[in-house]
This record gives sequence, structure tokens and C-alpha cells, in this order.
Amino acid sequence: MRIVIVGGGIAAVYIANTLMEQAPASEIVIVSEEAHAPYDRIHLCKLVDDCKCIDSIELELHPKVQLELNQKISSIDPVGKRVFSSHAAFHYDKLIIATGSVPKSLFDISQIENAATFRSQKDSEKIAQGMVGKNVVIVGAGPIALELLDTLMRSDAPQSITLLVRKNYLYSEVISREALALIQGIFEADKRVRIQFNDQITDKEISGNSITKLITNQRDIENPFLIFGVGIDPNIPYARDVLECDKGILVDERMRTSDENIYCVGEAAQLRERGFIAGRVKECTIEADVAIANLLGDESKTFREEVSIDGLKVGSFLFADVSATDFNPKDPENETILITHGDRIDQYIVNHDRLKRFIGINTNIDLLALKKLIENDSAIDAAYLYSNRLMSEKGRLICSCEGVHEQELVEIIQENAVTSFAELKEYSKAGRTCGRCKQDICSIIMATPVDPQEAARLKSAREAAAKEAKLATVRARIEKYNRLHAKNQLSTENFEEAITSFEMNHEFNHWVSMITASMHLHPDFEEVVKEGVTQLNKIPIIWLELSDCSGNSEGFIKSAHPSVDDLILKYISLDYHELLMVASGDQSEMALDSIIANDAGKYLLIVEGAVPLGLDGKFLRIGAKGETGLELLRRVSANALAVMAVGSCAYDGGVVAAAPNPTGAVGVAEALGRADIVNLPGCPVNPINIVGTLLHYIMFDEFPKLDAKNRPEWAYGFRVHDNCERRGHYDADEFVLEWGDEGAKKGWCLFQMGCKGPYADLNCSLVKFNEGTSWPVQAGHGCFACGQGKIAFDSYANQRPLKEKPNE
Amino acid sequence: MSNRKIVIDPITRIEGHLRIEVEIDEENIVREAWASGQLFRGIETIVKGRDPRDVGLIAQRICGVCTNVHYRASISAVEDAYGITIPRNAEIIRNLVTLSLFVQDHIVHYYHLHSLDFVDITSALNADCVKASEEAKEWCDHPYRNSPEHLQSIQEKLGSFVKAGRLGLFANGYWGHSAYKLTAEQNLVHMNHYLEALTLQRDLSKAVAIFAGKTPHPQNLVVGGVTSVADMLNPQRLNDFLFIIKEVREFIERAYIPDMMMIVDGYRESIDAGEGRASGNFMGCGGYRFGEGHVLFEKGVIRGHDFDHIEVFDESKITEEASRAWYENDAPLSPYEGETTPFYTDLNDDGTLKSEGKYTWVKAPRYDGAVMEVGPLARMIIGVAKKSPIIFPYMERFMRKTGMELINFSTTVGRNAARAVEAQICCDYLFDMMSDLIENIKYYDETTWTKYIFEELPTQAKGRGLFEVPRGVLGHFVRIEDSKVANYQAVVPTTWNASPKDAKNSRGAYEESLIGLKLSDPSAPLEVLRVIHSFDPCLACAVHVMDVSGMELSQYKIRGGCPI
Repeated sequence: MRIVIVGGGIAAVYIANTLMEQAPASEIVIVSEEAHAPYDRIHLCKLVDDCKCIDSIELELHPKVQLELNQKISSIDPVGKRVFSSHAAFHYDKLIIATGSVPKSLFDISQIENAATFRSQKDSEKIAQGMVGKNVVIVGAGPIALELLDTLMRSDAPQSITLLVRKNYLYSEVISREALALIQGIFEADKRVRIQFNDQITDKEISGNSITKLITNQRDIENPFLIFGVGIDPNIPYARDVLECDKGILVDERMRTSDENIYCVGEAAQLRERGFIAGRVKECTIEADVAIANLLGDESKTFREEVSIDGLKVGSFLFADVSATDFNPKDPENETILITHGDRIDQYIVNHDRLKRFIGINTNIDLLALKKLIENDSAIDAAYLYSNRLMSEKGRLICSCEGVHEQELVEIIQENAVTSFAELKEYSKAGRTCGRCKQDICSIIMATPVDPQEAARLKSAREAAAKEAKLATVRARIEKYNRLHAKNQLSTENFEEAITSFEMNHEFNHWVSMITASMHLHPDFEEVVKEGVTQLNKIPIIWLELSDCSGNSEGFIKSAHPSVDDLILKYISLDYHELLMVASGDQSEMALDSIIANDAGKYLLIVEGAVPLGLDGKFLRIGAKGETGLELLRRVSANALAVMAVGSCAYDGGVVAAAPNPTGAVGVAEALGRADIVNLPGCPVNPINIVGTLLHYIMFDEFPKLDAKNRPEWAYGFRVHDNCERRGHYDADEFVLEWGDEGAKKGWCLFQMGCKGPYADLNCSLVKFNEGTSWPVQAGHGCFACGQGKIAFDSYANQRPLKEKPNE
Repeated sequence: MSNRKIVIDPITRIEGHLRIEVEIDEENIVREAWASGQLFRGIETIVKGRDPRDVGLIAQRICGVCTNVHYRASISAVEDAYGITIPRNAEIIRNLVTLSLFVQDHIVHYYHLHSLDFVDITSALNADCVKASEEAKEWCDHPYRNSPEHLQSIQEKLGSFVKAGRLGLFANGYWGHSAYKLTAEQNLVHMNHYLEALTLQRDLSKAVAIFAGKTPHPQNLVVGGVTSVADMLNPQRLNDFLFIIKEVREFIERAYIPDMMMIVDGYRESIDAGEGRASGNFMGCGGYRFGEGHVLFEKGVIRGHDFDHIEVFDESKITEEASRAWYENDAPLSPYEGETTPFYTDLNDDGTLKSEGKYTWVKAPRYDGAVMEVGPLARMIIGVAKKSPIIFPYMERFMRKTGMELINFSTTVGRNAARAVEAQICCDYLFDMMSDLIENIKYYDETTWTKYIFEELPTQAKGRGLFEVPRGVLGHFVRIEDSKVANYQAVVPTTWNASPKDAKNSRGAYEESLIGLKLSDPSAPLEVLRVIHSFDPCLACAVHVMDVSGMELSQYKIRGGCPI
């Protein structure tokens, strides 16, 4: 499956990495309009003040994910399953939109050199370079504006910084007056900073590409550098024509858009029912998880909004915000409980004894406890809130996404001798969901001393243990195969000898790689797998011929995939097969008895031919004791690991059971009254279908997926007609009307000559016969649906079209 | 009673379900034998009442090994009944397919189904590869894939396999039996070709599929001609076909024939003792026209090894009777009249055949009342006796190089030699037939079907398709009434050879050929297997040809016994 992800942010990377984990076989492409590999937008501030190289905030991306940069998507073609950029098209099976949002500005600043929004790496560069010596004006009061203000304060470059606030509050309308005053005080301690409430830009003077003066209600600002931090809009103009949209792209609870193959997550998505648009990274990742689960077929997962814990990433004070999903700031029933102590403020908003929101400044309350309180919808009392003022034992909450506190982190660092953020990964997901606290965590790691020798020792012990654990898994699997094929007494030495003399090394290595990959093991483990594989190159097989014509055996020994000597000598051990085996009479009976007795539950039974039930089964008798075919089948199948019925006769009696069914013949499943027989009908079955099914079984320890008639889907999930090389002529009404006519010479459709391809579920038209040389349609005769069993011989085996039309 | 009875069932490495019982005396010499077909399917009953044009696809399921020949014979029987002559191109394409199957059948029969009765693979492991390579040169100037290095790799291949402890299909043979006569080196040369032949026979299947769509169970024939006109007109397809046949010709000339000479030399004693000789009655119906009035096989009848006296073959002298087979009417009848109802008298309580009564599903076909042997041996002997310009030179060359007389071919080993020579003839003359086809197309004859209006054809008719096929003479006989099949019968080669005794107690060819055979170890009757295998039994054929009613008589009314 090819999955295309549009967007280059945290959500896109999160989705790609998660998909690589859950569906490693799929092809994943990220299409991003940015020039840089995906980076962590949350840390853009770093770029502004530290002028750090962008690599420092680059996100970890799975190496197998294909990354297409500088591709701004302009439109989607949901019918052709393609997305277009201005110069490329990308095909998809499933599309996930994660294009996030675009920042708003109050007027067009695209041509202006001293005005910017704050969203991308480009913006950061523009700000860092443009603010030098300027009077910086930040428009906005939300988290982005405040974080940017906090960042710029730490730089000497701006001459002054003005925060232009349209209303009379910062951050949120519910923030307490005390908190507001505290924050304003902290910011305005820097003499360059001025916060202007109830103010906005009313006019501006522009000269060339530059704003020379900003005029607000309260004053004029000369030589400005203007930054808009006034909010965002979903970034979806390319999708409006083809997908249902409101503010964002409308999605259901499974994050599916109005097109079943297109999902949308993050700030670009709007939940149809609730109108909710995610703003926080944690919410985006939950949405992404839901979209991935549904895309991979798990429809049980739906999006549920969670109680959020958030905060401002500012250096000057600690700010925390916990909010219930149903918090309504306008609700007149809201009551505020405010507890202040020095520069600490704990503000609780309670509604009918239920906590709905908490905003804390320099607080050390256990935020996770509050979150739980809201989630459980528990009643609270003021006494609890007062007593909770004490510092939590775990210290302050460092990672709100994963709920990791400072003290917990220190313990993890000390216990495991963690010396870097990378090493922490194995022990804690802290700092890895939204990434907001990554820098904090790095500081804590740096500040927590560990003994380097102890660290090294622990590290190597850890690695050894991990490897041992994986090896143990492999050995367990090998053990399992050995139990399954216990009769095989090959020693490793002999097997290697055999492989060498067969000149099979290349093929063998290829095979080992394949099996290793399918066991989900690292390539390093191929050597171990090889050791294991040498023990399992054979599985006992019994091939019984009942009421048959030997056509399937005959086809099988002519099999070329793989070549027959490989099959006999290497992959398959046909321990009993009347047609091929050397032993005769007593000897072959002994071989059969010995397999049944010694390999009970381990051998595969392949049956060719129908089972005659008439005359008490005596139309077929095998062996010196005159056992009937049915008795023999019952005896051999009882101890078989699995039974495969090959050919149409073994399927349902086939030609032997055609009217008037003189011997009362039935198929294997019916004769045994079993529903677990694997059927491979065809007259004869294409050897490729036998070999493919056997190899699947031998390699994966299970049969391939079967359909309702117990036929492997990979071979019987096709209608001959649909894949026929002459299908085009059928559609064009070009038919052969007489044997050898001009149409026949040109290879026209044989439907009018009684071809039954439309009634046949088989892969003949794809794999053909005798190493792909030909098949009945190519030979100009047409198909008679021989794989459909006895009905083929009663109704289809002729050269006349059926009266009724096939289902188109 | 001093005589002991040995039961061998299943006889493996044959197509179908066959049982042989032999009675031996104190000196381990076979005194009496019974051959029994143990499977009955009733295909002929199934085709009754159907549209005659549809018989081919069902009748071909009589056998998955000789599948093309049943397909062809049944379609030809209907064409014969309606008096339809097929175009020359159609006949050539049918011949190309049939003769490719002759070659493939003979190669598979010898190497994969029979050679291990003569070749001891465990002994091949002890061979000196350099000497083995030299040994091969004794029998052929340029032996097929014969470098000591290649032989070494074959030996290692087998060695690893034996060492690995699992012989698979090679398990439980009579290895080390004193009846094996070849040297270690000769065994190795044979095993080399055994493995090469596996690949080659797959290539031959491709050649068949080029004109027949697929094999087994081809799908290219209709009443009136063939359907694969597009393949016929495609030069690339013709070339692919020729290319495969060329490689096969190399194999036959440089491996199959020399190997056969080696076997003749190694088992000279067996030949001289006349092991496996039957009554000496041979029958052939001839066939396969090509070029300007040439025919590949001669027809005729020889009795009691009297090679100087050849009777004219007269198909009306063919009858079948069932006095010892599990059917009701014992009397000899013409195939067109075949009226038979199953009359199963079961086995003895210990599972052995009721040797004094009925004991098989195979009926007893007779020519002018006599047992006949059919197959490559019969064809080669008749060809030599009639001085056929096609067959005689090949046989003469083989006889000169091996010192064999014509009578020596009527043995177990000789049957194989005759089959090898026949494979070479069929393969070589495929080129002539292909050249006929190209000539025809060159002169703008692209016809592959003879037009007829089915509704205007007679509603009553009878006809037969009579062919030489790999195992002998095959006849399909059809009687049509009200434009439906009223009666159908196939008399197949193995019915002739695996025939039971008849009312006069004269034995079938299998049975006769076993009499007087000395077993060196009755608990390991390798000699019996050799004899039976030399006929290339195809019991799926032998038991499916009976014209009988089924178990469920109430569901099906039999129109038995109406003479036409």
C-alpha cells in the first residue's frame, strides 16, 4: 500500500514513523512544501534567539520514509487517487492530510521586509535578522505572542518591544486579574517592553517595501518591525474543491474525510460533529493514532477529546493550564477560587463542585492529579485544593504529554546512567511526544551526575541483555520448527554440503533474508536464522491418488516453480506417492505405515482424485489387504497435520461425479465430512498453485488465506474473464464466430464460441500453463471453467454460450 | 500345496491402480499370474446421452498422462461418424502434438518410472567420475553433459542427499539387490541423465502447450479441426517448438540411445533368457501420414513371433469379453455393441484376488479371438518385418551396434530398447511434419476447421477413432442416436496388455510375460516389477474404458446392446 502524507510538520513525521512500525510493508511518502526536512515548530523560538542551525530541531524520521520537499500541493484528484504540486503528481492508495495551518495577518505583508508572521523556519530567520535596532511590535495576546515576547526579551537586538493587545487580557479571558498583573510585571521589568491593552493598529506609513511608521490608537511607532501573532487558519485551500470543508476539512470521528481514501488530522481537520479543531500537539497525535488505526483496518478507534495540560514555554516564569473538554468560559455558573502566595498563583475555575480549569503561575501542584480529578468528574472541596498547595513529591511536571515529573526523571537518569536524550528513549517517552519539554529534559540530564564507568557498564549490560532476549525469541521459533519437522535428522554440516553441491547458495541466502524479514528480525540475526533453517528444510508429504487420472501428479512433476529436482531434493520430501516412488508393494506400504505411525500430526496429506462411495467404496481398492479408497483416505487423513485436495475431482468429485455419477463419487471434504480441507480445484490444477501453497505453508507455518470454498485467495480470487488477454475484444464486441475465421486468426474474444471464462474463478489468465507457454484461451479454444468442479463437466464443457448472461 | 503366492499392490511408478498376483514354485519360478485393475470410474457411462461434440473434453479425462490421445481419438470418432474430413493443417498440428507426447512419454517412462529397476543409485555414489566419463564414451562419441566435473557434481548432489538421511522418492527401493547388473560408473552415467531428463520433459510440455494450450489435458481440438490457428500462423511459436525438439533430439541421440545400449549390454543374460517374453502376438493399426504418401507406423498382425508372416490388420476382428472381469455379460462383443453391467464378486477375505473367478475391472480384448501385445515393441517389430523405410534403418542400426536379433526385443529389456528407438524416430520425423506445415502455410492454406452445420448432420451415425499412441493401439467407438451419444466405448492399449484371462483361460500379455520368471528373492520381487514396468502400464486408462452402468441404476436408464 502506498500512503502519501501531505504536510511537513510534527504530525506528518509522527504518522510516518508510526506507520513504519505498524505496517512496515507499506510505501510511505511525505510531501512537504518546505525546503527543509521536518522540524519541531515548537522550538522555533530557539532559532530566533540562539540563531541555532535548523538541524538542532530537526525531527527523527524513519529512513525508509520517502521525503518530497519543495512540493506545495495545489490540488487533489480523488478519482485518479493523485495529488498534484505545481510540477509533480503523487499517486496514493491512502492519503493523509496534515498540512496544519497558516498564520493570520491583519493585512498583506508578503511584499514587506520588516513585517512577519511566526510559523516557519523562514519566519524565524526573518525576525532574527530584521529586528536588530528596531522597535518590535508584536500583535496578539495568545501563547504564540507571549512566547515570542519572552524570547525577544532575551535578545539585545530590539530597541523596544511593544505587545499590542486588542482586548484587556493576556492568554485567556478567564485569567485572573492577579495573574495578569503578575505576568505584565514580569515582562515589563524589562524597560524596553511595553504592553498596550485595548489597542490596535489603525494606520501605517509605507515607503518602498518597508513600513516606516505604525499608528495605533494610543501612539505612533517609528522604525518598527511588525510581527503578527494573532492566530491561525487551517491550511486547506487546495482541498476545498474536492473535499467537504467548513473552517477545516470536515472529518468523522475516525478522521475520515468525505472521500473514503483520504484522512485528515491536526490543525487542518475539523470534526464534523463538534466542530473541534486540534491545537495542541498531544491532540494531533491522538488524531493521528485514530487515523492510522482506521486506515489499517481497525475501525474500533475513534477520536475522543482529552483533558489537556498545557503551558507557556517562557523562561521568566512557570505557567500551567489544565482544561476540561467541556469548559465554557462564558458560563455564568463558573466560580473562581484563587490562592496566591508571593509570585505564585493557583487559579481554579469550578462549576457546580466540578473542576473545569486550572491556571497556575509558578505553581508546583500535581497537574496529573488535577487532570484525573477532571476526567473522573469527581466533586472537589476547597480544603483539598488548599492542602494540595504543597509541593508534589515528584517535583514539577516536566512532560505534560507523558506525565513525567522532575524527580521521576532524575531517578530514571541515575538508575540507568543516562547521559543523553537519545539514551533516555529506552526508559521514558518523556520529551518525545510534542517535544516541547525536550530542552528542559536535556538540562536535567546535564545537571544530574552519573558515574561514567557505571554508565558504560550498565550500557553494555543492557545491550547484551537486549540481544540475548531477541536471540531467545529466535531460538524459540527454531525450536518450534524443529518440533514440527522432527523427523528431519539433518545435521547442519550435511545441509551446508547439500546446499553447496546444489549450487543453491545464492537462492538459499535470498530465502534466509526473506524469512528473517518476515520474522521481524534485524538483519544481524540472519546468521542465527540460517542455523535454524538448516534444520527445517523438509516436511514429510504423502500424496494419495484415489479415483483419478494422474493428471495432477503429471502436472506436478512438470512443475517449474521451483524446478522439480529442487522440490523433490530440497524443499519437499514426497515420502509416499504411488506414481513416483521407487518402492513397490510391501515396501511402499511400509513407507506409508511408517509415516503414519512415526510422523503422526506432522505430515501433510495431498489427495488427488475423487472418492467413490458406491459399492461400499469398492470401485477403488488399494493395497494387498484390498483397502477401499475411502478407508485408506480416512486412515491417512486422521493423523495428518493438514489435508490438501488437489484437482477438481478431489474438490467435489469433478468429472468422475458428472451425471449420472456411476460410482457415487464425492470430493475429499465431503467424504471425510470435514470443513478444514484446503481445496485447489482445476483440471488439472495449475502446478504453480500447488507449489505456491506448499511453499507458503513450509515458510510461514500456515496456509495462505482461504475463501469461502476453502480455496487460497491468492490463486482463486480472480475471474478468468477479468484478466483475460482477449478481454479488450469482448469490450469492443469483437468475437470469433466460427473456428479458424479471421477473428480467430486475430485473437478475438471466444465468448460466442462458448468460452466460460466469465464463470471461472481461477488465475489461469495470469499464470498460464507449462511455464507460461499458453492456456486454453490463447490456444483459441476458450475456457470451460474446469476449476468449478463437477458443474463444469455437466454444464460448461462444450463450445456453446450459456443461455443466461454472466454477471458483469 | 507347495506353490506360494505373492501379492504386489500397489505397483508404483505406473499411472493408475494395478495389482499383480503371482504364484511361484519351490524354485521361486513363477507358475501363474493374475493382473488386476482395482479402480473403476465409468467415464463412458458419463458421456452417454451428451451432445457428440462435447465428448472430447470428458473422454480426455480417461487419463491424465495419455490425455491428448483420448481427446484426439474421441473427437476423431465423432468426425468419422459424421464423415467430416479435417483440413491438412489441422491434421499436422494434431500430429505434432501427439508425436511430441510420444517422445515425452517415452523419456519419462524410461528414466523416471522404470530406469531405477535397472539402475542402483546407491552404487552410483561409489563411482569414479573420470572412469564414468570414459565409460559413457564407450557408448557414444559425444555423450550428453559428460565432463568428469559435471558427473562429480551429480554424484555430490546424490551423495548429499543420501547422507542427509532422507531419500524421499528414492527411499525403500531394492538397492543392493543382486538383480542389479550395472557397474558403479554406469549407474552414475544413468543418474546423470535421470536428472537431465527432468528438465527436458518440462521443455517438451512447453512444446505441446504451444499448439495445445496446456498439458496435461490440452484444449485445442473441436469436431472438424483445431482451434490454435493464431499459434500456427505465428513464426515465433513454430520456432520455439522446433528449438525444443532440437534439444530433445540431442538428448535422445547422445543419452537415451547410448544408455539403452549400455542396459542391453549389462542385462544381456536376461535378454538371452527371454525374460518377460509374452505370447509373441503383436498388433498395430499404423498411422501418421506425412510428406508425399509416407506413413510413420505400419499396420499388421503377427502371431507367435512369426516375423515372416504378417496378417492384414482388420479392425472388425476386435472384440471384448468379460468372463473373468467384474461385469455381467461374459460373451465376446464388438466395441460398438459393448453391453456391460458391473457384477462385483469382491476379493477373498484376506484381500487376495479370487483367482478362479472374476478378478479385475479390466475386460479382455481379443483380435480374432487371440491375445495381442500392443505398444512400441509391436510397432517396431511390425515395422522391421514389413521393411518400413522409416523404421527399418533405425532398428537395423541399433541391432547392429548391440548385436540384438529381432526376437531379443520381445523381452523386458527389449521392450525398452524398442521404445527408445521409437522415441528417436518420432523426434526426427517431427521435423518433416513441421516442414509439411510450413509448406502448406506458404501456399496460403490457413484453414484449420472444416465447416459443417450441426443441425444438418445425420441424427444417427457410428464411427471410431483408431490410433497408435505411446502405449499401443487405442480405439474410441461412438454410436449416435437422435444426435446424442447412445453408446460409447474405448479400447485402450493397457486393456490389451493388462488383459485378464478369457473364457479359454488364455492369459493376458502381462500375465503371460511373467510365467517362468525366476525370482532371486521372493520377498523382494524386483524381477516382476521390471517385467510389468517394461509395458509402461497405464491403469487409469485400463479401468476407465469399460462400458458399464453405474451403481445408481435407478437414476439412469441404460440403452444396452443395440447393434448398429
